[in-house]
Amino acid sequence: MIETVRTGGIVLLVLAGLFFTLVSTTGVLRLPDVYSRAHTASQADTLGAGLTLAGVALALGWGTTTVKTVLLLVFVFATNPTAAHAISRAAHEEGIEPWTADDDRTDEELYEAARARVPDGGQSGGNTTTADEPGEQEETG
Amino acid sequence: MSDNRLLVPVSDTETLRQTVEYAVQTAVGTEADTPATVRFVYLNPARANQRAEATRRTAEKLLDRVAVWAREDAGERELVVETIHLGADRYIFSPADVANALVTEARGQNRRRVVLDPEYDPGIGAMLVQPLEGKLAGVEGIGVETAPVERQTRRTPVFELTTLGEIGTLFGISFVFYQVLAGNVTWLAANPVEWADKIYWLDIVTGTISATVAAVALSQVTLSTAPTRRSVGRVLRGLVYLPYLLVEIVKTNILVAAVILNPQIPVEPRLTRVRPALWGGLPMAVLANSITLTPGTLSVRITGRSLLVHTLVPRAREGLVDGGLERAVRFVFYGRGAMRMPSLRERGEADPVPADHVRPVDEQSGDDGNGTDTAGSNDTDGGEGR
Repeated sequence: MIETVRTGGIVLLVLAGLFFTLVSTTGVLRLPDVYSRAHTASQADTLGAGLTLAGVALALGWGTTTVKTVLLLVFVFATNPTAAHAISRAAHEEGIEPWTADDDRTDEELYEAARARVPDGGQSGGNTTTADEPGEQEETG
Repeated sequence: MSDNRLLVPVSDTETLRQTVEYAVQTAVGTEADTPATVRFVYLNPARANQRAEATRRTAEKLLDRVAVWAREDAGERELVVETIHLGADRYIFSPADVANALVTEARGQNRRRVVLDPEYDPGIGAMLVQPLEGKLAGVEGIGVETAPVERQTRRTPVFELTTLGEIGTLFGISFVFYQVLAGNVTWLAANPVEWADKIYWLDIVTGTISATVAAVALSQVTLSTAPTRRSVGRVLRGLVYLPYLLVEIVKTNILVAAVILNPQIPVEPRLTRVRPALWGGLPMAVLANSITLTPGTLSVRITGRSLLVHTLVPRAREGLVDGGLERAVRFVFYGRGAMRMPSLRERGEADPVPADHVRPVDEQSGDDGNGTDTAGSNDTDGGEGR
């Protein structure tokens, strides 16, 4: 009896994890621009990987491997927002406008618009803030 | 160089007296049309924001002392001594931020020469003059020189009392982590009685060695201050915060899944600027990461205290400006009393940002929210304890 409940729980958790991974993939394809896609890409990590790993932990039972599974989850949760933030920050630094409901431009057009706005045609667009300082100087001094 | 107007960043070091003397001698010894001027700059350390009053007093005392020294060194000769306390209104995290602040000040005051104290430390953790000098040397129109000072043998002993606390904490964390990975902790929990037979003594020995190496080598990098009773409280409240965050993540995940799967619900992305009532690198990093972890809201950029958030649907936007996460992070860092406060919307600390406003000019110049994520993790004042 206990065994059946456990197997059912594992199946449910893994299926739910798969569901959120599917949603996340759909979102990356469906949503309009880079910022919106960064939202949903992190879903695959949080609930997708989270629920699947919870299923794994349940399947393995109490032991060192389960503890490691939980640690794995902790690190996914710590690194996932960092990656999503890095992507959106890079997009913002490039000057890419977020898409809004009354905007009829596509993702590519928004990107091209940002490139066109940079004076040198986006050649050195990816300047980090530390590199900004000498770059700024060249123009003013 | 016939420029006799100098900019000198100061901090409380043993070589400060000699640096002041060198700067004053250089200024009055240089032939120029302008009156010899030395401008002493005290930069507010990033962590000081919560103790603003105490920092202001420290800065004033130091600058007063420096000014007295400078007048003493100038003697009969003409010298203008200026002092300024900078950065009380912004975060200074990295050598790059320090360099930015100094360059802005030098440009604003039309100074072209910066004299550095070789032990200068603006209180941002692991700080060396070398990277700062490199950053400043790359800036055109500003000359950097390091004051030649005679140093005593290294002032810092290998083990100070405060660093012992940091090393001990890091040793403890590393050791427990090693034992968890080795499996000893689960053994212990499963066999609490006969543990002496079951435990792998080899792991205890190798774990001790590894943890010692990690603690001694990395304590300066990982922890900025020795943990106090307050940081223990923070870790415990952090443990309360985690389930709350998990529930939020599940709730917003379901919301966003509905938005993605149902074409009837329109997607209305918007940028919102919020100014949470949090001070310092670590609390801001925790809030920004939590915002990003919950789907529907995404931290795009941090500039000082203001956080630019991209929101996917109105529901997520409302959740953000209601300030549930902000309150929870305040609870973790400042205790239960800090939770009782009006929401971001009621305080007027949340503004919509038009989409074409992606590169505001005032944001790009001078103080930028530079590398806030990494700076946050440097400031692990007993954060999550990992």
